[in-house]
Amino acid sequence: MKKKTDFLPYALISPLIIFIVLLALTPAAFTTIAAFFKVQPLNPPTHFSGLENFRDILHNANVISSLGNTFIYIIIGVTLSTVLGIYFAVILQRRFVGRSILIAVLILPWALPGVVEGILWTGIWDANTGVLNSVLKSMHLITHYQVFLGQHKFLTILAIEVVQVWQITPLSTILILAVLQNIPDDLYEAATIDGSNGRKSFRYLTLPLIRPGIAIAVVQSIIATLNIFDQPYILNGAASTANSLAMETYAVSFQNLNFGQGYALSLLITLFTLFISVIVAKFIYKKVEY
Amino acid sequence: MQNAIKISKSQKSIAIVVAVASAFGFASLAAPAKAASPVTISVVLAAPPLPPAMLAEFTKATGINVKWTQVDWDSLQTKIAAGSTANTYYADATDVDWSRVGQLGKLNWFLPMEKYLDTKALATDMPQLSSFTKNGHVVGIPYDASFMVTTVNKALFAKAGITKMPTTIDEYTADLKAVKAKNVVQYPLNIPFAAAEGLSTYWYETTGAFGGHILDAAGKPLFTDPASAGYKAAAWMVNAVKTGLVPPGNINVADSQGQQTLMAKGKVASTFSDYSGNVGSLYDVAASSSVVHQVQYLATPGASGPTSNLGNPDGIGIPVKAKNPAAAAKFISWFTDGKNMADFAGANGTARTWVGYFFPSRLSGIAILNKKGSIIGGDVLAGMLKTSAAVFPQGAPAWYPEFSGAVYTNLHAAAAGTMTVDAAIKAIGAVATKLSSGK
Amino acid sequence: MKLHKKGFRRFGVGVILSWSLVPIYWVINTSFQTDAQISDTPAHLFPPTPGWANYKALLIGDGELPSMIRRATINIFIECISATIITVVLASLAAYAFARMEFKGRKFFLFVVVMTMAFPTYTTLIPMYRIMAMVHLVNTYLGIILCYVSGFLPLATWILFSYMQSLPLAIEEAGSVDGASRMQIFRLIVLPLTMPAIASTAVITFLFAWAQFIFPLVLASDQSTQPLTVIVAAIQGRHIVPYSLLSTAGVIALSVPAVIALLTNRFIVSGLINGSVK
Repeated sequence: MKKKTDFLPYALISPLIIFIVLLALTPAAFTTIAAFFKVQPLNPPTHFSGLENFRDILHNANVISSLGNTFIYIIIGVTLSTVLGIYFAVILQRRFVGRSILIAVLILPWALPGVVEGILWTGIWDANTGVLNSVLKSMHLITHYQVFLGQHKFLTILAIEVVQVWQITPLSTILILAVLQNIPDDLYEAATIDGSNGRKSFRYLTLPLIRPGIAIAVVQSIIATLNIFDQPYILNGAASTANSLAMETYAVSFQNLNFGQGYALSLLITLFTLFISVIVAKFIYKKVEY
Repeated sequence: MQNAIKISKSQKSIAIVVAVASAFGFASLAAPAKAASPVTISVVLAAPPLPPAMLAEFTKATGINVKWTQVDWDSLQTKIAAGSTANTYYADATDVDWSRVGQLGKLNWFLPMEKYLDTKALATDMPQLSSFTKNGHVVGIPYDASFMVTTVNKALFAKAGITKMPTTIDEYTADLKAVKAKNVVQYPLNIPFAAAEGLSTYWYETTGAFGGHILDAAGKPLFTDPASAGYKAAAWMVNAVKTGLVPPGNINVADSQGQQTLMAKGKVASTFSDYSGNVGSLYDVAASSSVVHQVQYLATPGASGPTSNLGNPDGIGIPVKAKNPAAAAKFISWFTDGKNMADFAGANGTARTWVGYFFPSRLSGIAILNKKGSIIGGDVLAGMLKTSAAVFPQGAPAWYPEFSGAVYTNLHAAAAGTMTVDAAIKAIGAVATKLSSGK
Repeated sequence: MKLHKKGFRRFGVGVILSWSLVPIYWVINTSFQTDAQISDTPAHLFPPTPGWANYKALLIGDGELPSMIRRATINIFIECISATIITVVLASLAAYAFARMEFKGRKFFLFVVVMTMAFPTYTTLIPMYRIMAMVHLVNTYLGIILCYVSGFLPLATWILFSYMQSLPLAIEEAGSVDGASRMQIFRLIVLPLTMPAIASTAVITFLFAWAQFIFPLVLASDQSTQPLTVIVAAIQGRHIVPYSLLSTAGVIALSVPAVIALLTNRFIVSGLINGSVK
């Protein structure tokens, strides 16, 4: 009963695999190898250096502070964007007048170019002329302008991460909404007949069924928060109060021109991303049958 | 058998889908911009294109077309590093910043300009050329002689009863205190304490005012002694925040942000290290300022009288991978011609004025400008340019970007109060010592 | 009960609107002010002297800036649309195989593809640049598009795989009975049912491409291929940052995806829910 090899699936995935091998795996292989070399154009020659790059970056005080900060970014960012993503998707689940417009409105934060986003939020948080200070003061909630960024670590990171959450929540929402659209109406009808209310049907029906969407959304926000760069760089400079791993990768590679160390740090970020993504996805991801 | 037919059939449909997709792709996308038959060079700078009339003149005289690409400064540095590391052509002529001279020189990412231009003859007319020379090679040619200056809002000073402008740093500090005491403005001084390049530059300028240098010729730190100018400058800056001369919110304000949202709005009375040109292009422009005709340049107050200003000129050079270095050199020669630079600065009307350009790097260009008297505060500035000094007279060290990173992160932390000035200086000194000894 | 539900939705709509629009309003508000007005305290909640000056400066006339913006808008449009179409087509084919067929190495290939999402941007920047230079695709639309496609394929494949996997088994059985080939089932049954996910994937891919900065920054050497994001960043001056002009550029940059979303989003929210399969 041995079957002949079925070529169709291979034919279907081959264009994808060609792209991945040539333009994702090849560059990645290059950096993985280079992570074990001393690649320092200012200090040639390039030679094999074993784990030296990894040792050096883990003794770099900026990298260490960015490691802790990035951890806080991930916790805040993943939680907020996922909760908001589920909430927004549930709101948009059913047909109602203006839903199409609302979806278009929803994606606006994502479509705003990074530079403009930076200027916008600098203008909101700014301690000297910021809008938030202005509004809070006119409502008599504060007596004088407050410093939101750069003074208190957690507040600074929170304020910066809100900006990123604002930008990535459209992605989480669309990912979850796509799966939500796949739940047949009759399931809800059945639930209503059983007498379960909105909250119950969300808890026992919606939530389990949208797990695949949530898994993708969570992994996407892990990747985004682990690579946060523009927002802290624009809003808080290179200060250790809120510097991120990605900023340090950039500084080590493009400012210090120590590419070997930069690649080593990138490799660590990749492994770290994979590690938590696999755990989280395993935890959330369950094949859904109905 | 049936299976096999199925496969070939489905493969066909895949092929069609893929072909349609790619056809859509390739049809519209393939053709890259091909160089026209006459020589075309690509110039990439962090500046808007030159006036079309001027570029047309160059093309008419030389037959060389110029394709101008504007990229913001930060991104341009990334592009230069990426292009050079990947050993790829990305431009025929591009930015050589004063702070990158050492790095670009040591890496041999740019062609030596002395091979293409008579740089010896140029040096006599171009005072800043020496700081663009590293290991005997000229890395780039300065085209805009900008430098740091002190700016003062005279109207606000006058309100505090100050009519005689300060000439020493002590007088300057006392005047700022008076402005604060009389409550003319709550915080009179703008220092951009955000952890970014502008903070480093501010410290260099202040160090110069206290009469000293940052590094010696070997790159060793000169600022670790509490009696040194660099140490005093750092202490003065941090103290200014602690004593309420600087707005507390400035902990996160970047250089241009402070100039635009504080100085230009009359919320502060002075910026010790401001950009030359800002009076004309920012403070006197009604659309961007509410202090029109109130701000003036001030000879930098020093330890015992007016002192030199810190030069931060922009330069242009030819990357090694340039496709057409000879044509690029011709362009650079024309671009840094005294008369043309005077035109860029506005000597011959708006059609020949280059937006955002400040000051010729050649004395002959300045002479033309002065004759025309077409620059705001031109006489003061011309005087300052004569005494403007390079931060690193021998050219910036190759490891400048890493050093500057240590400067701004540690000074920022000292201003935020998370470390003492002493600890910050020690940390910066340690980085300089480590880098200059080549690790 | 009904009333309660209505209130829940009304409140949610309010949250979505204010979450997205309050900051966007501020960009629009800023785009109608001068730089001096932007830094006034207290801040102007409405433009004090509204006018089209900033928009005219960026859009009207033959000056360098408007022509740069126009060219960059065409570029970004070509790059994003092409990348989106190629990505969605290739991802749908692959996702179909991954989700509905058994073959050796299925899990392995899928994992490797999805795994590549974990590579940080700066890991692949320089090697990608080298590869593109080697095949002479630097400063071409094709180079930028290929780079985008390779970057967005993993997520697109994952979304579509996940969606196709959750389709009821019965659909293929029904198809086989009719004697349809697997590609016919794909075209006639799976694809239509997957439409909401395909539309979502297209929107996501398009927006990812729209937001790209660092790759097109290095892969595009001049105005012939630079997308809008790179040009918007270039408006920043060396010493003076024109806030109002940049905000205006931001409004222009987000209006295109907004219009596209408005025209296409009915596909996102249609499908099974409309009762195609009961």
